[in-house]
Amino acid sequence: MRFLSDIYKVWSFEFRNILRDSGVILFALIVPLAYPLLYAFIYNNETIREVPVAVVDEADSQLSRRFVRMLDATADVKVAARALSMEEAEELNRTGMTYGTIRIPAEFDKQLARGEQTTIGVYADMAGMLYYKALMLSSTNVSLELNKEIKAERFYTGATDRQLEIAAQPVEYFDVALFNPKGGFAAFLLPAVLMLILQQTLMLSIGMTGGETRERYAGRVLPPRPEFDNTLAVLLGKTLIYFPLYMIEALYMFYFVSDLFTLPMLGSVVDYVLFMIPYILSCIFMAITFSSFIFRREDCIMLYVFMSLPLLFISGISWPGTAVPEFWKVVSWIFPSTFALNGYVRIHSMGATLSQVEPEFIGLWVQTIVYMVFAAIFYHKVARKAESERLATEDK
Amino acid sequence: MKRLLKIWWREIRLFSKRPMMLTLLFVAPIVLLLFFVSLMSDGLPKDLPAGLVDEDNTQITRTIVRTLDAMEQTEVMNHRYASVSEARDAMQRGEIYAFLHIPAGTTEKALAQRQPRLAFYTNQSYLVAGSLLMRDLRTASELAGMAISRSTFLAKGMTDDQAMAAIRPIVIEAHPIGNSVLDYSVYLSNIIVPGCLLIFVLLFTSYTLGLEWKYGKQRKLYNMAGQSTTIAVIGKIAPQTVVFSLMMLLYDVVFYRYLGFPCHCSLLEIWSVGILSILAAQAFAVFVFGLLQGHMRMAMSICSLWGIVSISISGCSFPVMAMDPILQAASWLFPLRHYYLIYVAVALHDWSIMSVWTSVVALLCFMLLPVLSTPMLRNAFLHAVYKP
Repeated sequence: MRFLSDIYKVWSFEFRNILRDSGVILFALIVPLAYPLLYAFIYNNETIREVPVAVVDEADSQLSRRFVRMLDATADVKVAARALSMEEAEELNRTGMTYGTIRIPAEFDKQLARGEQTTIGVYADMAGMLYYKALMLSSTNVSLELNKEIKAERFYTGATDRQLEIAAQPVEYFDVALFNPKGGFAAFLLPAVLMLILQQTLMLSIGMTGGETRERYAGRVLPPRPEFDNTLAVLLGKTLIYFPLYMIEALYMFYFVSDLFTLPMLGSVVDYVLFMIPYILSCIFMAITFSSFIFRREDCIMLYVFMSLPLLFISGISWPGTAVPEFWKVVSWIFPSTFALNGYVRIHSMGATLSQVEPEFIGLWVQTIVYMVFAAIFYHKVARKAESERLATEDK
Repeated sequence: MKRLLKIWWREIRLFSKRPMMLTLLFVAPIVLLLFFVSLMSDGLPKDLPAGLVDEDNTQITRTIVRTLDAMEQTEVMNHRYASVSEARDAMQRGEIYAFLHIPAGTTEKALAQRQPRLAFYTNQSYLVAGSLLMRDLRTASELAGMAISRSTFLAKGMTDDQAMAAIRPIVIEAHPIGNSVLDYSVYLSNIIVPGCLLIFVLLFTSYTLGLEWKYGKQRKLYNMAGQSTTIAVIGKIAPQTVVFSLMMLLYDVVFYRYLGFPCHCSLLEIWSVGILSILAAQAFAVFVFGLLQGHMRMAMSICSLWGIVSISISGCSFPVMAMDPILQAASWLFPLRHYYLIYVAVALHDWSIMSVWTSVVALLCFMLLPVLSTPMLRNAFLHAVYKP
């Protein structure tokens, strides 16, 4: 009974603290709710469409103009200008009018007529990888289409459509973009960002309350009250504040954010909730463990915020996991986000079941236990010290 | 001037007494650099695992696999999946990023000119890996068809060149301007690392200013500065500017000299752009701090949210032109966006600084921001006390 009432006392003490603390409200409530919307807004268009290019058509023939028209008709590229020379095209690029140039050589038709290969140059602005991707993919597709026609005309006059089809493409292939059919940026980056927001804001909130308590009680992480002597009660009391709150936020992300921005969603909510339990627990205990290094409440903003980007890259989402060097991979296992980002993407976007994310699931439980032990040792030491100090003053 | 020197000396003494701050200031930016440089040291991710469902299993299908395996970005897993659903399962488990399906009878159909059909599946939830593998799989499939056409044309007595010209009359030649090897590190590291430094600058500025209030020393600082807000602030942050600028120089040397990233301008020019951006970020932080009348934690919170968003809105990964018009306009409010635009013009391309003069002016405007909030900051020096 004493144990339960201790838990309740810790819980209500912490809860009142948080309600008074605009900083914690900001990070534990407002950021997890609002930041996903902001990011979704940034990446909402998913892909770039109609990348403006300049065309330098030195051939200026019927066929070359057809190439240009077909390119213009693609979704990803727009012929924004015609230039007479490469210099002129570069000038257009410089003013930000275009992001690339298509150059059709003067000998385009002559070479084709002689049965030689002819080369169309695609010059892409490498300020961003997506311009390059859009330009190359679209112009390659147009060239394949034209090649098919040229071949049909040259070698297969009088053949049936089907024969032409086969001659042009003896082996047919089709590509299926799974789980993110549009190849969109939001569908790729946002799920990872959502999970990272959960971890980072938990670290900040718990770090800040820890720092605040230290400041208020002369360097002690726990208030000098009898209920805080029971380590287990303290851990449970704190967990009972953040765990329900973050489970709700996790569901908000799973449903509301995905729905609002029509992100691919194949996963089952049951698997998701089961997966989130160890994630949020491990984050809470890690945050408590790390808060032993936080002496001033603002320190945690300094320490945690700029870690977000490396954590995103180390997790294997932004940069393929198989290409992450061994050393950083080991470092990444310190953080629950590594497992959670991958697990969430696979459950939510790819419809994986819990058994398909087993390694990540186990990893999170291992982290939960390890960090819980660390957190318990940390609080236990603090509580023992506080207790002996109190006894010492009573003795006097 | 004498006052400034005195404040600087005080700053140096303060820093030497706070080991955590020294570590943050000197170690964190270097760790960041080492992290991103080592992470993307390959330029492009190599040997991404791809699976194979080979129901045909003939000489020709094995050739396709060999072609695919020879590609730098692709590594075909030794394990052969029995069916598409088994391969899909492996993808959901995160073991492979893509797989190629060669249906039974592919070779037979190809020989009988009955147009067999290959299919490849890529996981676009992992966009980078998925896109790179899609490119390789497409090329391999294209090559498979070409090999068959080629033998047909050779049989008709054509030379190799003629056969190639017959198969592909028009070829597309890629000219990636400025980054000819498509190195990811070139287009990410040298924006993200300075970007993280700028986040750090924003935070550190509001943090160190705030500590004055936190320890109730703001009046002392104000008096040391002869009751001038400007001198107090410059005295406070100028030593940091020096350290941050040296870090930026280190970044520039590592990127453009040691790693040989494309840089068409002199090191001094790109470094100046970096210093300008650092000053802009510091000014922004001072402005926010003033606006909030010295509310330290709120200022730090705003600076951190601002800094994190700046990486996305700089346009280095997802282009600003594809964002909502509101965001396109908002991107002007982030120093990193201007750093990126100037970098693209003068370093990546060989353009004159005049082509991005608007961004240079924008960075200079950031430096004027603190002037607007000076009265509020003065008020904070005189009256505000630390609020947790």
